[in-house]
Amino acid sequence: MKSSDGEESIGNPPMSDEQKSHETSKRFDMASLPQETRGERLIRRIDIPVQLTRVAILVFIIWIWESRIIFKGLNVLGFDVLPEIIPLFQGVPTEAWDYITDVWNEKLFWQDFWVTLQEALLGFLYGSLSGFLVGMILGRFKRARKVFSPFLIFTNAVPKIALAPILILWYGVDIGSKVALATIIVFFIVQIPVMAAVSGVDPDLDTVASSMGATQLQKFRLVVLPSILGPLFGALRLASIYAILSVVFGEFLASKRGLGQRLLYQVNNFGMGAAIALMSILAILALFFNAGIGFLERKFLRWQDDTTRGNVVSL
Amino acid sequence: MSLDGVSLIFGGKDTEPVLAVDSINIEIPQGQFVAIVGPSGCGKTTILNMLSGLIPPTVGSVKRHGEEVTEPSRDIGYMLARSALSPWRTARKNVELGLQFHGVGRNERRNRAEELLELLHLEGFANAFPSQLSQGMRQRVAIARTLAIDPDLWLMDEPFGALDAQTRLVVQAEFISLWEKSKESTVLFVTHDLEEAVLLADRVLVMTARPGRIKSDNVIDLPRPRVIDELRFDEQFKAAEHKIWKELRSEII
Repeated sequence: MKSSDGEESIGNPPMSDEQKSHETSKRFDMASLPQETRGERLIRRIDIPVQLTRVAILVFIIWIWESRIIFKGLNVLGFDVLPEIIPLFQGVPTEAWDYITDVWNEKLFWQDFWVTLQEALLGFLYGSLSGFLVGMILGRFKRARKVFSPFLIFTNAVPKIALAPILILWYGVDIGSKVALATIIVFFIVQIPVMAAVSGVDPDLDTVASSMGATQLQKFRLVVLPSILGPLFGALRLASIYAILSVVFGEFLASKRGLGQRLLYQVNNFGMGAAIALMSILAILALFFNAGIGFLERKFLRWQDDTTRGNVVSL
Repeated sequence: MSLDGVSLIFGGKDTEPVLAVDSINIEIPQGQFVAIVGPSGCGKTTILNMLSGLIPPTVGSVKRHGEEVTEPSRDIGYMLARSALSPWRTARKNVELGLQFHGVGRNERRNRAEELLELLHLEGFANAFPSQLSQGMRQRVAIARTLAIDPDLWLMDEPFGALDAQTRLVVQAEFISLWEKSKESTVLFVTHDLEEAVLLADRVLVMTARPGRIKSDNVIDLPRPRVIDELRFDEQFKAAEHKIWKELRSEII
């Protein structure tokens, strides 16, 4: 029997001398394995060749950008893969950096930042809460799913970005219209996977819980909810990125304040360095969103292997 | 515990109705270990589902302790072929699941779970997640979970069907010694493995192919406690198994 797996043999059948000698012959000495010190483990985890390659790639990207080599154009087999860019439309990292240091102490900039953050957070919150609730209910009740699915499928098929002008008419040019757009987009990103995950909960787990006399509430808390956490967090990661994307688009269309509004203004006035800076700030904002969700995910999905966690590609 | 003239029809709304089990009469005294064998799809699992109160019979009555079974009861342990452990719970927490449903306090749950894990030789794996356990160990955790709620009726649906032959022997041996120690518990054990049925049970019911009926009722008169890995080679055992095999054979082939 496989003693390494902790399996015990049944009883102890008598052994012949021959078996015994085999049993007591050389065994692998675990102490002979080389011990890894704490420093060695740290070095192995940091993985210096990977880090060095990353730094080298980053330096290379900044160099070809800053030196304006990429703006000279690239022609492959007669196709303008990279067109030549006129100086007015060029922006380089140092210009972006100058913009950031300029606005860092500017009160108006941080007001814009707060407007966009608020829109994205509220849209994410409303959208994911309602998506979660509706997904839960429709996943659990087959008949409700039958009734509502044609409506949901149609609504989801509407290119939701196209709703933005209408939402601006309805909710005004302030944050209301951006929150509404983000809510609608996030809703479907969360609702669909939650519904699928709830209806796909392992029926054996359900049978076991039912046979032990679990109440509906206990089943929800101890069986359904933990079962769907994986897909739920995957959806939330995607939703967080899309929440920012939607509010930026909303601000492009019509707005008084916000980072998206600021970005559009800069591009319209050929402030390319500033535009790059603002896009980077928006990306960093999205990364913070993502990291926050990743933190919760690690907390709740500790049981899952690192290899299966969070490998939903964020767009 | 008894099933009295029980039949069950499946489907009927959008599919052809299927008669799953037909006029079953079984009477099981408290403390008996009964195995049900039969060809696959003969309604063995359906009988367990009716006894556990998960599905009601179409006609007839299912009774326990003289009372009609209408809903799942807290003193029934139901174990499936797949271990059906919650992957997000450690072995110990999985064993505690039923106790948690029943509102047992944290410390008491923990003690009970640790006691059972020790009985099943898993004390070193209390904090391991199911994905870190071997098949045999997972199935033993499932046994512990089933027994944690102290059921007086154990419903076992091919509990060792997914195990390899050697692991199965080990787990069967642990299982039978737990039952032999428990005295008063009644077991209804569904399996497609006749050898397993005869090795473990006091009584083996053979079912016909669908619609499932009871074809024969055989008492296995082997002494207890049984040492099942040796009993396999016993002449008396072989004779009993062969006798029942002849009954079963015509249903399968």
